[in-house]
Amino acid sequence: MHNILVVDDSRVMREMIVAALRGLEGLAFTHAASGLEAIERLSLHPFELMVLDVNMPDVNGFEVLEFVRSQDRLRALPVLVLTSRSDARSKERALAAGASRYMAKPFEPQELLAAARELLAPADGGAT
Amino acid sequence: MTDSFSAREFVAGFLAEAEEHLGAAGKRLVEVADAADRGRAAPRQVRELYRSLHTLKGLAAMVDVAPVVELAHALETALQEADAAGGRLGVEGADLVGEGVRAIEARVAALEAGRPVADAPPELVGRLLAYHVPEPPAAERATGGDEALFARLDASERALLEQGLDEGKSAYSLEFSPSDERYAAGLTITAVRGRVEQHGELVRVVPRSVAPSPRAPGGLTFSVLFLSSEPPSALSRAFGVEESDLRLLRGPRGEARPTASVVGTSADEGPSTPAVSEAPSLAEPLAEPLETLPEPPPDAAPVPLARGMIRVEVERLDDVLERLSDLVLLRFRFEAEIEALAGRGVDVRRLEDLSAEHRRHLRALQGVVMRARTVPVSELLERLPLLVRGLAKEHGKQVALVVDKGREELDKAVAERLFPALVHLVRNAIDHGLEAPEERRARGKREEGTLAIRSTSGTRGFLELTIEDDGRGVDVARVAERAGVAAPKEHEELLRLLRQPGLSTRQAAGRTSGRGLGVDIAMRVVEELGGEVALRTAEGQGTAFLLRVPLSISIIEGLVVRCSDERYVIPSAVVDEIVEVEPARVLSPPGDERRGVAWMERRGTTLPLLRLARLTGRTEAQVPREKAVVVRRRDELFAFGVDRVLSQQEVVVRRLRDPLVRVAGVVGATDLGDGRPVLVLDPVALAGQRPPGETAVEAQA
Repeated sequence: MHNILVVDDSRVMREMIVAALRGLEGLAFTHAASGLEAIERLSLHPFELMVLDVNMPDVNGFEVLEFVRSQDRLRALPVLVLTSRSDARSKERALAAGASRYMAKPFEPQELLAAARELLAPADGGAT
Repeated sequence: MTDSFSAREFVAGFLAEAEEHLGAAGKRLVEVADAADRGRAAPRQVRELYRSLHTLKGLAAMVDVAPVVELAHALETALQEADAAGGRLGVEGADLVGEGVRAIEARVAALEAGRPVADAPPELVGRLLAYHVPEPPAAERATGGDEALFARLDASERALLEQGLDEGKSAYSLEFSPSDERYAAGLTITAVRGRVEQHGELVRVVPRSVAPSPRAPGGLTFSVLFLSSEPPSALSRAFGVEESDLRLLRGPRGEARPTASVVGTSADEGPSTPAVSEAPSLAEPLAEPLETLPEPPPDAAPVPLARGMIRVEVERLDDVLERLSDLVLLRFRFEAEIEALAGRGVDVRRLEDLSAEHRRHLRALQGVVMRARTVPVSELLERLPLLVRGLAKEHGKQVALVVDKGREELDKAVAERLFPALVHLVRNAIDHGLEAPEERRARGKREEGTLAIRSTSGTRGFLELTIEDDGRGVDVARVAERAGVAAPKEHEELLRLLRQPGLSTRQAAGRTSGRGLGVDIAMRVVEELGGEVALRTAEGQGTAFLLRVPLSISIIEGLVVRCSDERYVIPSAVVDEIVEVEPARVLSPPGDERRGVAWMERRGTTLPLLRLARLTGRTEAQVPREKAVVVRRRDELFAFGVDRVLSQQEVVVRRLRDPLVRVAGVVGATDLGDGRPVLVLDPVALAGQRPPGETAVEAQA
């Protein structure tokens, strides 16, 4: 069972992400509607993947990433970052802040699925 | 692998969320614009505005509505400028952002209506992207002492802090460490934020890594910086913490504390907290966090953040109503059976009691469902300020909008259909009714025109909305000339003239109003709802439109009548009484008889007697003991002749959805239990039409 943390302030967006990942088996989803909630959840429970929107208000995705990478426990957490297509700077910033992968919104569901599968694979011991 | 994902599924969700965000954005924008007018900053509102637009952008991108994405992005850019300048959006900036929001609204409306979505206007987008905030007035306030503390804040948050301190609030920091137990008890960072926001204004929440400890098992503490005018004792009680858990960072202006000190005298009782001689910098984690929130007492319920709300499509509630209507009909059959049993000598008292109880429950259930469908009128009216602002600017008029919301609630379906009519009339008033400031001055009026919108409950079951301006009034002579008739002497006639599509005293269509005055559209909408429109105008003084609509069009008390072998339902709300027609009291003056109008004497007055059969285009049957249903419209009475009055009962009205069928006077249809549809009529509206032979079925524009 892989625990996935889905972080986006829009409920509809979170549902779309979950829907896109439905193709993978053995996933349990936790929702966080803000960067603060995401940090809180991360501090209390283990996750195998985080899908993170960087452009949220308050504590935005970058701050979450920076926080995550500053924690020993979370340093290895795969983070898939979603950026706005028109925001090229975000991609660089995301990678610099420690994103494992980035993807622009709107995303192709198959691409999201493939990326998630890849990021989760090492934990499976490379089962293909 | 089957693709179980379809963006189309989410369009409905997008539209619903978009509506919410646009509504919120509109409200914030009005606040920002007001602040800009007064030369003040509005950092909080600018942030919230940014938030709404940002979310909209993401959603629009997901469902692939590129023009909205482009507009939202441009608006974000402009708002980022404002945020960087400390939450300041100049007057021009506010207008510009308003234009952008309206452009998005129009495109979302198009999407909802299934119309193509227009591209984002490049000129508007350009202006938004290039927007620069004019220089704010000089002087950064000296913050002194806790400089390091505030180093983590950005310009906008600092401005927020200044604003709050100016207003006499104090700045506090609350430390909160999440844990599994607290999470399970509902004490999450989101819950804590909610509590803080109820008692003050949040400035920023800073997450800090700390060494894991029993108090902070996750190795995480949130420092919640906020402003509040409540004293620490009240706050600590409200949050369920010790006073020592709250750190006062800044007292209200005039009492700047040189160091952060522990507030309250509970330091002796609580666990020892380090007395600090210098404000700890938030950049470095504390060796040990200050006392965190204690476990809430076992029976404390978590503070609910939002009232439990659920989004339901109005159609689903319609379904519930239809099921209810079936139950209502079944009840009649029950009662008929009980009567039959009684007729056979069976003691039915117990049955009758049960039936009455059943009826009460059903009635209560109907009430509950109807209330679930209602929205307050204020919801209908709160989109208007933004609209009025935009229209005023567009037409170069100065408009003061006065809204008297009232307390009425109306059916959501009615509200949805009424709103466009309202918008048309408001546009009308601003475009045609109100004069330009120079003209007003020349007429001795205030340059600023007044547009007043009032909502009151009129007769039982109806809402009355007045849209009134103090503009130039309708130019009756010119309207008559254009229509090629003599100048009407009564407002009713004038209204009939005005509603003819294409009739306009303007040569060219205005950009927003188009041909004609939109009055025809507005009136049609209101009449379809089973309501009516009245007009009052005085040249040089102004115009008022009065709309009267039923609060609900779904369940009504109706009078079932038979007329020429057909059954019809007339809403009881408009019925004054039912009388028997005495031939001796009916007069048919020669001219009127041709038109089928007779006059009936009743209690010392005469009322027009119109045969319903004739109005519905059927042959009149000669019926002994003809009945007349006396209907009241405002102060006037009309009598409608029918063959028989059958019963009075509640009916569920289904609106006619076929766009090709729009007949004034037909409110909808219902089912009386035998599966045959029965028309629900508004007889007065029906009578207002020309005789059946000439009435064309209007196709929807």
